[in-house]
Amino acid sequence: MTEKHKLGMLFFLASEVAFFSMLILAYLYFIGAEANGPNAATALDPATTAIFTVALLASSFTLWRAQKSIEHGKQGGLRIWLLATIVLGAIFIGGQGWEWAGLIRDKVTISNSLFGTTFFTLTGFHGLHVISGLIVLLILFILALAGSLNQARAHALATVELYWHFVDVVWIVIFSLLYVWPHL
Amino acid sequence: MSEISLVPEAADVPRNVSKVNLLSWISSVDHKQIGIMYIITAIVFLVVGGLEAMLIRLQLAQPNAQVLSPEAYNQIFTMHGTTMIFLMGMPMLIGFGNYLVPLMIGANDMAFPRLNALGLWLVVFGGLVLYYSFIAGGAPDAGWFSYTPLSEPPFSGTGVDYWAISIIVTGIGSIAAGINFIVTVLTMRAPGMTMRRLPLFAWMVFVNSFLIIFALAILNGALVMLEADRLLGARFFHPIVGGSPVLWQHIFWAFGHPEVYILVLPAFGMISEIIPVFSRKPIFGYPFVAASTVAIAFLSMGVWAHHMFAVGMGFGWDVFFGASSSLIAIPTGVKVFNWTATLWGGSLRFTTAMLFAMGFLVEFTIGGITGVQFALVPLDWATTDSYFVVAHFHYVLVGGTIFAVTAGFYYWFPKVTGRMMSERLGKWHFWVNLVGFNMTFFVQHILGLMGMPRRVYTYPDLPGWGLLNQISSIGGLITAVAWLIFIVNLVYSLRNGKPAGDNPWEAWTLEWATTSPPPHYNFDQLPPIRSRRPLWDVAHPENPDWKHDH
Amino acid sequence: MFSPNSPQAYSINNLLLLTTIIGGVILLIIGGVVFYSAFRFRSGLRPGEPPQIFGSRNLEFLWTGIPVIVLIVLFGFAVNTMRQIDPAPGQQPPDVIVTGYQWWWRVEYPQAGVVTANEIHIPVGKQILFQLEGGDVIHDFWVPQLGPKRDTIPGSTNYLWLQANTPDVYLGACSEYCGTQHAWMRIRVIAQPQAEFDQWLQQQRAAATPSGSDAMRGAQVFQQNTCVNCHAIQQTGTNWAGPNLGHLGSRQTIGAGVIENTPDNLAAWITNPQRFKPGVKMPGYQLSPADLHALVAYLESLK
Repeated sequence: MTEKHKLGMLFFLASEVAFFSMLILAYLYFIGAEANGPNAATALDPATTAIFTVALLASSFTLWRAQKSIEHGKQGGLRIWLLATIVLGAIFIGGQGWEWAGLIRDKVTISNSLFGTTFFTLTGFHGLHVISGLIVLLILFILALAGSLNQARAHALATVELYWHFVDVVWIVIFSLLYVWPHL
Repeated sequence: MSEISLVPEAADVPRNVSKVNLLSWISSVDHKQIGIMYIITAIVFLVVGGLEAMLIRLQLAQPNAQVLSPEAYNQIFTMHGTTMIFLMGMPMLIGFGNYLVPLMIGANDMAFPRLNALGLWLVVFGGLVLYYSFIAGGAPDAGWFSYTPLSEPPFSGTGVDYWAISIIVTGIGSIAAGINFIVTVLTMRAPGMTMRRLPLFAWMVFVNSFLIIFALAILNGALVMLEADRLLGARFFHPIVGGSPVLWQHIFWAFGHPEVYILVLPAFGMISEIIPVFSRKPIFGYPFVAASTVAIAFLSMGVWAHHMFAVGMGFGWDVFFGASSSLIAIPTGVKVFNWTATLWGGSLRFTTAMLFAMGFLVEFTIGGITGVQFALVPLDWATTDSYFVVAHFHYVLVGGTIFAVTAGFYYWFPKVTGRMMSERLGKWHFWVNLVGFNMTFFVQHILGLMGMPRRVYTYPDLPGWGLLNQISSIGGLITAVAWLIFIVNLVYSLRNGKPAGDNPWEAWTLEWATTSPPPHYNFDQLPPIRSRRPLWDVAHPENPDWKHDH
Repeated sequence: MFSPNSPQAYSINNLLLLTTIIGGVILLIIGGVVFYSAFRFRSGLRPGEPPQIFGSRNLEFLWTGIPVIVLIVLFGFAVNTMRQIDPAPGQQPPDVIVTGYQWWWRVEYPQAGVVTANEIHIPVGKQILFQLEGGDVIHDFWVPQLGPKRDTIPGSTNYLWLQANTPDVYLGACSEYCGTQHAWMRIRVIAQPQAEFDQWLQQQRAAATPSGSDAMRGAQVFQQNTCVNCHAIQQTGTNWAGPNLGHLGSRQTIGAGVIENTPDNLAAWITNPQRFKPGVKMPGYQLSPADLHALVAYLESLK
């Protein structure tokens, strides 16, 4: 059964690759289209965002630990690692909110430049995916507290884990393209 | 049977098959009930979209007519296209897939029954959202491909928001169905049902599902950008603030052309089942028919910009997309030749299903030939966005998909309901439809060549235009009569059809190895699966397929 | 295309004819086999099941190979035709600049400094380079007898070569759906001998002078109403919301082809254009009969 669920998630993620590719292509398409106005090099702060990025990457590690715990039947470890994952994911989303607030204060919005249009749409949909993941993880965490997330249901966590790593990978692509590449 | 694990979700649902009550349908996660509900949804929208087509032909029956206002006409042709593609075509094919694929591979259900139900209800909900727009201040009026900036403020109203949201919702439902088909075929096959023995319908639904999960996600990417523009003031496709209307076309058609194949591949699968059974021969060149499906799927991802030759992309791009689009004719031709060769030397039984399948061969070929003409760039420059293209894609989607699906309907109706459809009414349906369809659409080739653009609510009284349009409209009316006969046949046969028995057509695939309709878990017992035609092997122990080692 | 009248349209037509013939042969083969089989292989002609044939590798190669060759040849023809009818404009200045608006065409002759609308005069027997611009949404410029079509896209520029071999009026239309009145966004190309064309251009370049007292009064009516907000009379290059009316009297139709240009029609159009072209962006004007008569006289006098 595990294989079936994992396969289903993998094909869902393949579909997600196509979706995010369009948002990323739109960003690339409009690079340099505006003579003036904000762009990735001037508007974004890679150093601060790098910190939140580390939080998100760390959450992939903690979720992997949670999965190992459930496989070995360690309910305590499962709960701790799940909680850590949720906290790290929340830190990332908080960081993104903070970054957005700063940009909007600096008059970089979705409607007043092509950079804003593509940046907010791309990072917004990534953020939505992180939030969806957090909601599911929260449900799993509650189930774990109630003691009903046991070895027999390990495939549920394994499936969510795939999703969470995918969301991480998408962020690595976004971070490389938007935050690192303009400074190379 | 023991190797096939039962689906736990399905097992939890208490069920009384003999008792029909609404709640048991709405809450169902059974692939057969979901398949039937998909098909009913599609038929409802076929009627709605068909009535819209009638209004279009009514308005165009004579020059300078004033049956519909231009605003109403533009809403109706937009709704006709959107309905027929997203709410009729896809649900119809997904519905047949849902019903048949598990049966054909000897499984008890789809891999994810609850996801399956979710997909259905998303499509139904999406359809309701689209049609709610009529009440909520006007239906979408930017055409089914909503070219920007026409589909953006200030050029269009809230109808386009309903359009976009409806399609995002149905698109998610379709992706769910696509994932389900892929995993079902990969993990739920009965022992002996290897991938190389899959019935071609199941194979084509499987390949098609890859197109669905990629193409619909691409469309959703485009739609969220469009809605960001419309609702949040983003700039993606607004030329005045630096956005690119041509970018919309690229992304939309990167979905839109695979979509054409999404609408036709499962129909190819039906033809590949029906022609052999009524020719009393196996499909000619199974591996080539199967492999050409994969070739079509791959190529279809790289031909989108042939919808954009009039955009002025430049010589290089035009040549590239023209060449890739021409290439797609090769695997499609391979299919048509193999189906035709299956007839040769057979013992043809002219059931209604077979008549529609043979009609498909001829009508689809006409659509294919004009398709090659469109791949030749200068011809596209001349004929695109004229009535020639309207004629072309109706030959593909009606002459192709609808003819095939109708064949499928007559073919599998006995399995689904346990009753035969009336062959007498069926033959009336076929011949009236054949006349009506060709009368409606053949003359549109000529109108296009005469210079009539598509999507005009009326036209000047130029020599011949009125007459040809009148012929087309009368053809439309005849087609409507044909479909009325079909509905009568459907209602009549549901009540009074002759009992079908397990295998009325003496067919060879596994869905005919169980009762009609099949029991909840599909099979009490499966025959040994040692070839592509397990029931042939059972019926002809002296000459089984597995001895041929194909 | 029917009655092609330019080298471009002839090339397209030849390709169309060739592919239709080849396609017809293919259709005859498929249809022929279907019909022949229906007759020859119908059931009941022999007992039991027919011989079970699973395929033929040779046939597969045959019906893959032959179409490949046919397609390569056809595509070669197509590329050749593309080169012929759509060469890059290079540095050559355009003869005519056409801009698509909802729902009319702005037509400019940049070298002569002439601006008109919907009706395009060209000299016969000459390759004319059209520059196509998009005003609001995407439109498409198509005159079937003279050659291919091309989109007019806001924010980008397209080029199109057309020619008319013989003098005539050639009808065309917007062929990309562009909103409410897409149907009445028609094109008239009036092909004339060079001398006649030169004379027309000369006439358009000069300001038309209204003649007669009615017309003089009509000019005042035009100025006093909001006509001037959208319509220019003088040849100016700026973008106006409506067609330039500087030489309206010399045009054949009103409303981008929806009605003939006669004084009665013009009066009815000014009073209620929505009657003829529902959704058109021009409002109706409730003028006194005298004012209306004067305004029509004025506009029709602008030849």
